[in-house]
This record gives sequence, structure tokens and C-alpha cells, in this order.
Amino acid sequence: MDDLVYLYGLIPMKEAAETSIPAVKGFDGKRDLYTIPIGNITAIVCNLDSQEYSEESIKERINNDMEWLQEKAFHHHETVMKLSKIFTIIPLKFCTLYNNQGSLETAVQTNETKMLAAFDLITGNEEWNLKIYSDDSLLKKQVSQNNPTIEAKRAEISQLPKGKQFFEKKKLDKLVDSELEEEKNKVSEKIHKHLKEFALKGNVKKTWSNDVTGRKDNMTWNSVYLISETKVEEFLEQIQQFEKDMKEKGWQFEATGPWPAYHFSSLS
Amino acid sequence: MQPASQTNGKINLDPDNAEHGLAQLVLTVIELLRQIVERHAIRRVEGGTLTDEQIENLGEALANLEEKMEELKEIFGLDAEDLNIDLGPLGSLL
Repeated sequence: MDDLVYLYGLIPMKEAAETSIPAVKGFDGKRDLYTIPIGNITAIVCNLDSQEYSEESIKERINNDMEWLQEKAFHHHETVMKLSKIFTIIPLKFCTLYNNQGSLETAVQTNETKMLAAFDLITGNEEWNLKIYSDDSLLKKQVSQNNPTIEAKRAEISQLPKGKQFFEKKKLDKLVDSELEEEKNKVSEKIHKHLKEFALKGNVKKTWSNDVTGRKDNMTWNSVYLISETKVEEFLEQIQQFEKDMKEKGWQFEATGPWPAYHFSSLS
Repeated sequence: MQPASQTNGKINLDPDNAEHGLAQLVLTVIELLRQIVERHAIRRVEGGTLTDEQIENLGEALANLEEKMEELKEIFGLDAEDLNIDLGPLGSLL
């Protein structure tokens, strides 16, 4: 049986002709990366033994072998990262495999227009990620102190007998919680809108739970931006300014990049 | 990929420290029941079928229970997070 083809990314043929790819070991740690020219596009790939890396065995390891997954995901990320520093690259998702070179070529040929458009979009631009974290207990205090309705309600409740007070307090806590969520969204959306002025595109992503982030404060916002290289500095200065102004109030900002343009070159 | 700390919602049943682990387990169960009772009570109150006196009694009992729970947590050096077990794909207990 043919070897499988593991696809890391696609680059414009012109760039591939000017610069050769760095010597990097492939997914199995043995065979080197190489390029396959397909018309105007060059695919950066490595070969994998189809027995060892069958669809089932990869699924099995992704689900059950954390160490393997960590090592391989890191390899994929590192490789794509390295390539993105040299080339305009459409990065592919972890474990994008083709049965053989022929099926890869067909896939690239059918999507060529989309891919060329993606190159146009990402050339000269960088992908940056922004995560906003909030200290909810600190924000909660501010929300209930700055809200006259909540303040009035609190005063009213303190006059009630203990039993009724208990239920009213619970109700009020719920109200404060929902006000807090609203406030957090309002603030984050405003920031996002402001930052989008510096970017070509800006997309909102799902926030991560604390299990994933390993942090005590909650992730309130997660977004990605495609920014012209010339505007990146200005963009980051804006974030620093937000951080400076809002840190005391319980907000934290984490901007990371430049990333391979995963979010702005999706072919689906 | 979770850090193996005491605050990640896992019950710590270390053989040298079994007492503490057991207290954590027992308090976790009590806290779960307390919250269920509380939610149920709130529903009853909002349902509007209870008399003023019944509401007052229920509320006072729950308030006392909540206070007692705080005291117990204090005694065993546990916080709210310690009483929340991670149920994997089901999310957390509380």
C-alpha cells in the first residue's frame, strides 16, 4: 500500500521556488518534510506508513494516549509555526492526512481558487489572538456598588426578618450575577469593536473553561484578528492601554501572536 | 492536563491524611444536599403556595444551615471549590 501523505500547509508556488523549506523531521520523527508542487500551489508534506498510522490507530491514540497526542500536536504546531515565519502559509489542522499524493493533488486542484484567495488575504498580515480574563468577585462588588437598583434592594432586604431575608438575598445574588455577565459582555464587546478598527478582520471565538486555562480568573472573551503587519504595533499598544486602565478593576488582557493564520485561511 | 492540586475538584484520599479526605467527602455530599434542598425551597416559595410563616421558617432554617456549613468549611480548612467534584464529561458536581 502507498504511504499516507500528512499535509502541514500550503504555500504559493512562487515562494517555494525562491526559498527551499528547512530540513525538519516529519510526523513519524524519521522521514523529512518535502514539497509537492501542484500548479500555483505547493504543498508541504511528509510521508507516513499507512499500517502504523491508519485512521483507527490515530483516533485511538488521540483519545487514549495523552503523551503521544501532546508530543505530536506540539510537533505539528512547531513545524507550521516555523514554516509560517518563512512563507505565506495556509496552515492545515492537526492530522490532515491523504491516502496518497493523487488524492492530495485532486483536493488542492478543486480548491485552488479558494486557496489563492486565502493567500491574497493573509499576505502581509498577521493573526493575533486576544484573551480577556476577569476577576469576577472583584467585578461583582463594582457591579452591585454602582447599581442604584441593587443598592436600594439591599437596603430594603436588611429590614426583613431573617427567613425572608434569606430568600430575597438569593434572588438578589442571581440578579447581580446576571448583571455581571451583561456588564462583562458589554465591556468586552466594546473593546472588540475598538480593536477591529485596527484589523482587517476580527472573529469572536468560544471562551475556555478554567480547567483548560488552569487559571483562577475566568476567561471572558476570546477573539482572533487578522492585522496588517504595519498596524500590529498600534494594535498591541491599544491592548496595553486597556490593560493599564482596567487592571485595577479586575481585568487582564493576553495578546498572543503572530500565529499561522488558522482562522483566516479556512477552506471550508 | 490538570494540575494535581487540591483545588481542582478532586477528592484527596491520601492514606496519611485520610481524616481530611473523609471530611472533604462528607462535606461535599452535605453541600450537594443542602443546595438541592435550597433550590427546591426557592421553587416552593416562588410557587406562591406557602404562607408567610412557612416562608419565614423555611428561610431561617436554610440560613442557619448555610451558616453552619460555612463554619464546618472553616474548621476543616476547605473552600467552596474543594466541595465541587469534577465529574469529567458531566461537568462539575455543583
